[in-house]
Amino acid sequence: MEFLIIILSGVLFATAIYNLLQKQLLRIIIGTILLSHGAHLIILTMGKLKTGQPPVLTEGISQYTDPLPQALILTSIVISFGITGLLLVLAYRTTEENNTDNMEQLRGKSNE
Amino acid sequence: MSNLAVLPIVLPLIAAIILIFFNSNVKISRLLTKVFSLAGLAVAGYVFLHVMENGTITLQTGSWVAPYGIILVVDALSAVLILTTNIVSVACAFYAAHAGLGEKEKFYFYPFFFFLITGVTGAFITGDLFNLFVFFEVLLMASYALIVLGGDKVQLRESIKYLLINLFSSMLFVTAIAFIYGVVGTINMAQISERVGEVEQQGILTTIAFLLFFVFATKAALFPLYYWLPNSYIVPNPVISALFGALLTKVGVYSITRVFTLIFTHRLELTHEFFIWIAGLSMIFGVIGALSTNNIKLIVAYNIIPAIGYMIMGIGIFNQEALSGSIYYLVQDMIVKAALFLLVGVIAYVAGTSDLRKMGGLIHHYPVLGWLLFISAFVLAGIPPFSGFIGKLLLLEGAFQGGDIVIAIIALITSLLILYSVIKIFIRGFWGDKDTIKNLEKKSTKGMIGPIVFLLSFTVILGIGAEFFYPISDSIAEYLLDPEIYIDSVLKE
Amino acid sequence: MIYAVFAPLLFAILVPWISKHKDRIHTGIFVFFIPFIIFLYFIQFVGADFSPIRETYNWVPSLNMNFDFYLDGLSLLFVLLISGIGSLVVLYSVFYLEKSERLGHFYVFLLMFMAAMLGVVLSDNVFVLYAFWELTSISSFLLIGYWNFKERSRYGALKSMLITVFGGLSLLGGFVLLTVITGTTSIQGMIEQVDVILASKYLPLILTFILLGAFTKSAQFPFHIWLPDAMEAPTPVSAYLHSATMVKAGIFLVARFSPIFAGYEGFFISVSLVGIVTLCWGSYMAVRQTDLKGILAFSTISQLGMIMAMLGFGTEAAVFAAVFHILNHATFKGSLFMVAGIIDHETGTRDIRKLGGLITLMPMTATLAVFATFSMAGVPLPFLNGFYSKELFFDATIDLEGAAWLSQAIPYLAVLGSIFTFVYSMYFFFGVFTGPKQLEQLPKKPHEAPFGMLISPIILVLGVILIGIFPEMVNAPFLQHAAESVNKNVEYHKVYFWHGFNTPLMMSLTVVGAGIILFVTRRKWDKVYHVLPGKLSFNRVYNFIVEKMDTYSAAITNTYMTGSLRTYMVLILGATLIVTAGYMFLTDGFTINVGNLAEVTVLEVAVVITIIIGAIATLFMRNNIAAILVTGIVGYGVATLFVIYRAPDIALTQLVVETVSIALFLLCFYHLPNLQKREEAPKTKLTNFFISAGFGLLITLVGISAHSSDWFDSISSYFVENSYKLGGGDNIVNVILVDFRGLDTLFEIAVLGIAALAVVALIKMKKKKGAE
Repeated sequence: MEFLIIILSGVLFATAIYNLLQKQLLRIIIGTILLSHGAHLIILTMGKLKTGQPPVLTEGISQYTDPLPQALILTSIVISFGITGLLLVLAYRTTEENNTDNMEQLRGKSNE
Repeated sequence: MSNLAVLPIVLPLIAAIILIFFNSNVKISRLLTKVFSLAGLAVAGYVFLHVMENGTITLQTGSWVAPYGIILVVDALSAVLILTTNIVSVACAFYAAHAGLGEKEKFYFYPFFFFLITGVTGAFITGDLFNLFVFFEVLLMASYALIVLGGDKVQLRESIKYLLINLFSSMLFVTAIAFIYGVVGTINMAQISERVGEVEQQGILTTIAFLLFFVFATKAALFPLYYWLPNSYIVPNPVISALFGALLTKVGVYSITRVFTLIFTHRLELTHEFFIWIAGLSMIFGVIGALSTNNIKLIVAYNIIPAIGYMIMGIGIFNQEALSGSIYYLVQDMIVKAALFLLVGVIAYVAGTSDLRKMGGLIHHYPVLGWLLFISAFVLAGIPPFSGFIGKLLLLEGAFQGGDIVIAIIALITSLLILYSVIKIFIRGFWGDKDTIKNLEKKSTKGMIGPIVFLLSFTVILGIGAEFFYPISDSIAEYLLDPEIYIDSVLKE
Repeated sequence: MIYAVFAPLLFAILVPWISKHKDRIHTGIFVFFIPFIIFLYFIQFVGADFSPIRETYNWVPSLNMNFDFYLDGLSLLFVLLISGIGSLVVLYSVFYLEKSERLGHFYVFLLMFMAAMLGVVLSDNVFVLYAFWELTSISSFLLIGYWNFKERSRYGALKSMLITVFGGLSLLGGFVLLTVITGTTSIQGMIEQVDVILASKYLPLILTFILLGAFTKSAQFPFHIWLPDAMEAPTPVSAYLHSATMVKAGIFLVARFSPIFAGYEGFFISVSLVGIVTLCWGSYMAVRQTDLKGILAFSTISQLGMIMAMLGFGTEAAVFAAVFHILNHATFKGSLFMVAGIIDHETGTRDIRKLGGLITLMPMTATLAVFATFSMAGVPLPFLNGFYSKELFFDATIDLEGAAWLSQAIPYLAVLGSIFTFVYSMYFFFGVFTGPKQLEQLPKKPHEAPFGMLISPIILVLGVILIGIFPEMVNAPFLQHAAESVNKNVEYHKVYFWHGFNTPLMMSLTVVGAGIILFVTRRKWDKVYHVLPGKLSFNRVYNFIVEKMDTYSAAITNTYMTGSLRTYMVLILGATLIVTAGYMFLTDGFTINVGNLAEVTVLEVAVVITIIIGAIATLFMRNNIAAILVTGIVGYGVATLFVIYRAPDIALTQLVVETVSIALFLLCFYHLPNLQKREEAPKTKLTNFFISAGFGLLITLVGISAHSSDWFDSISSYFVENSYKLGGGDNIVNVILVDFRGLDTLFEIAVLGIAALAVVALIKMKKKKGAE
């Protein structure tokens, strides 16, 4: 049932954003991961779910699940992974250099 | 069909990959960078002339017919922007060797530089919405790498904010693409345009359009989404700031231009009317930001925002004059922003500070810098005969024709305040007693001035030679107002 | 004509070179020939049979932006003023400025100004006119800031620029509107379409725009405040820009557009009112000044007000008087500025309180001053040109038609303003040249100026006298044409000294009588300045605005530019959410279609619930490891969903990526402090909750609607059909990735590569730092 997954995506977005609005870097990064899950599920649902077999051509079967969203998700997963990797290292270095993992303490002198 | 279309993307990509291998040899890296950037400019110039003469070039990658494969489309708009991108890239490439990057040059600065150019040109060329997302990620990833290059405390701090905000907007972008696919069953922009047109942009489509707008507006740094910009643009080396200031936000503007002239043009009273307000607010708040600080780099960074406001104003008004003005403004702003970021970089370098309160009397030591800044101030404020004026004039004509008086007045007042914010640097930094800065050491600006002059000369050419360039922007505007041409060149070949 | 306009600019390029290499001869001597030749060129047009000339040179024809030069009587008057006074000022400056000054800069700016000013008065094309207009502001800015080591000089330069460029931009607004309405960029073309303009609903706006431009440039009340501060410029500049020419650009503009607006009552009211108020206020304030140039600055303001008022009246008599006074004012005020410069140069001060009794020491200067000040005061003598135009002015104030409240007040105000004019003129002359000498107060021992410095003021004063004695010399061949181009109904009439005992003469006599009384008793009544203006000062308003612009903009910006990621996110997300949701509601975008959905199995529901629980649990975890593991559960849950929904490839990728990510996570965060309890104000929590819940809901609703809007077939069927046939693969997703959409994959790899490089760079840099 597509609506179930859409609602799930909504929940993932909501929890992701709630995490993004926190102070601690770890939570924020967890937020970004949830966010990408939400986005990917949305892509998946926007093709028709379960309208056929997995999109691997098999003799005698003419109905397949929409393959395009799957291809897009794959691309997106890889990109997200790249970003997450960089983000993790960046976060690690930032906390190490600045001695805090609290974003509120990483404001910097604004506008100077 | 011509393979020419892929050249502006592939060339910097190859350059980036080659430069990875020459990473440890700074001399060769510098040389190759100059060579590749010049080659890029030559290619872009050729592509531009080709498009001007023969019309839009399309390339179905892998020979898969649109809308099924990814199609690359170099129309006049893309061609102009690619050319401008490469002009900026040449200036930055020549500046880089003298930019005082130091160790950073060995940490893959040059590969990142070309990856950034790859992403930007790719975004200008692609005719596929999801592919646009991929190119966005290329350029963003390169920008993350560049912004943090050096690894200072401040850089780390600002880059993580920059990354997180952009990450969110990227995810929203993917989601919006998914929604569009869900509604119209395609991700090829021409076909989306066709199908959205068939159903008159009814139902949820306008909502999705707004989601997309906010995604692009975040990248373009429009009100109220630009908070990430000012501080993150001033932490890296000036040459990186110049690249960012010139190119990154403009990709957002380009995307808005493309999507809201090609696809979502059926409910102008909702979408474009709203853009005018956003444009006005961007001008006001952007220029207020520019006035709020004594940091010369921040002044320039904030000045990006009202300029973006001008461009979006033209799209919002949506008549030929205004669109033409937007395009003119877009092109000249890419160049002048690059020049200004480099310029304040040099000024901060020779003065030893970027705090205006600690400066003064620099004109006695660095007269050329002073006059370059003086000219840039007028370019930025759109005072004739410089390029900013032509763009502004067209925008005003468009606004008055469209009856949008309020935005025209805001635009006029904004340009006064822009002038004030930049001339402040001239008055406080350059005028005054010779010995305002104690123990000012004379520093060499060798190799730094050339690229700035190179860039500023284009603003003069674009202003005085408007006779040659205005017809181009005018024809692009006319073309943008008729999406059928784009659709035909993609789908009916 | 194009050569005339661009010659100064071209020569300006040579000036730095000349000043560097020919340092034995004063650069000014070379420069002098430029305006002088231009003057000689244009003087040939003067004559009774003059008719307008037009020349066009293309610049941007596709935007109708061309150098359309139009020389009619009005522009001829101005061109001669610009080049004539320009020559004299350059000549004067040769003696005024030492060779040690940065003469190169000075003359470049001056020539730039000259070209710009010629361009303003000769251009028929509004946009070219605007371009030159801004160039005058810019060169004026540079000249005021010439001695920029002085704080006052920088202040004055900025002030003049802000105010005049503000006016310039407003002017641009007016020009663009006019162009849009009439479809032409030619002023003469617009004049032909008066009916269209007067019928336009934008008429008040156009008038406001254009008048703001004119009033700011011509220092009209309340924009006059920049002019006194512009006196920081070297005196030749004050004489030239801030008295004879640039400040008259506003006058020129109003005169130029008079044929368009003359029939509109708003024009009469606004221009006359502002002009007459400026006249009174300027002359009133001039009496209070102690700096000689300050007196002259306010005097200029007041005289410009008078000319402006006359243009506002628009009657034939008024227009002629205005044109006449433009010429007269240039002669006597130009010479007075030079006199003030001489006094400053020879005594070292311009403070009138320290000066006195100079008549014996500087007899020549005093003689010049007496003619100029008396002419300015409008003393009825047949050899002072100032009297003639003042008399004509009085004549023009009587019997005005148009708004009665204003028309009736104008004659009285005119007399009032003229009385103060008389007072400050006397004050200037007698304060400096008579009374006790105070030599000990002067920085220098005063003596007569070198002859060279006197040449220019002598020529100007000769002009005062000659025009006074032979007004007809300039009338028919010259002024008549100028007046005609402002108001074509002006008929030629002779100018006489003696008109008989009529109202204007009575007014003049009143002025002289009251003026003498007020001048003699001025010590008694000068307390009035404590009341008016008292603390009322437009300078304060300006300073307040500029100062507050800085502080308020900082305050405003700092409220949201906090550097806090959360603030940024809240604002960005909030805006996106509110606007998008708002438009969804507005367009009635939500649709739901429950048909054609896949069936639900228990397994799916179970997985979904697990994910939801996991996702929510991440919010409450306080242990790093636990939080990461819970996130992992969500990831694996999503992978399971991919399996259920028949996406084996993504499921596999997801599993791998999830596993690697968790490993990375643990690596990076193992050593970091544990998550803390969230200590947030309830308000913050509430905001966070609403934004995140709202966004989740938005995504859900849009998702449902998008899914339910099933209008088109997906392009996917093509992939299914052709995957094997054309792509040569069974796994459709794979074929799409590597073939149909190979470009995506190529650049996806690029992204990954850049990320890897970036990570390497980050780590290497750390090592480098550690090594140091």
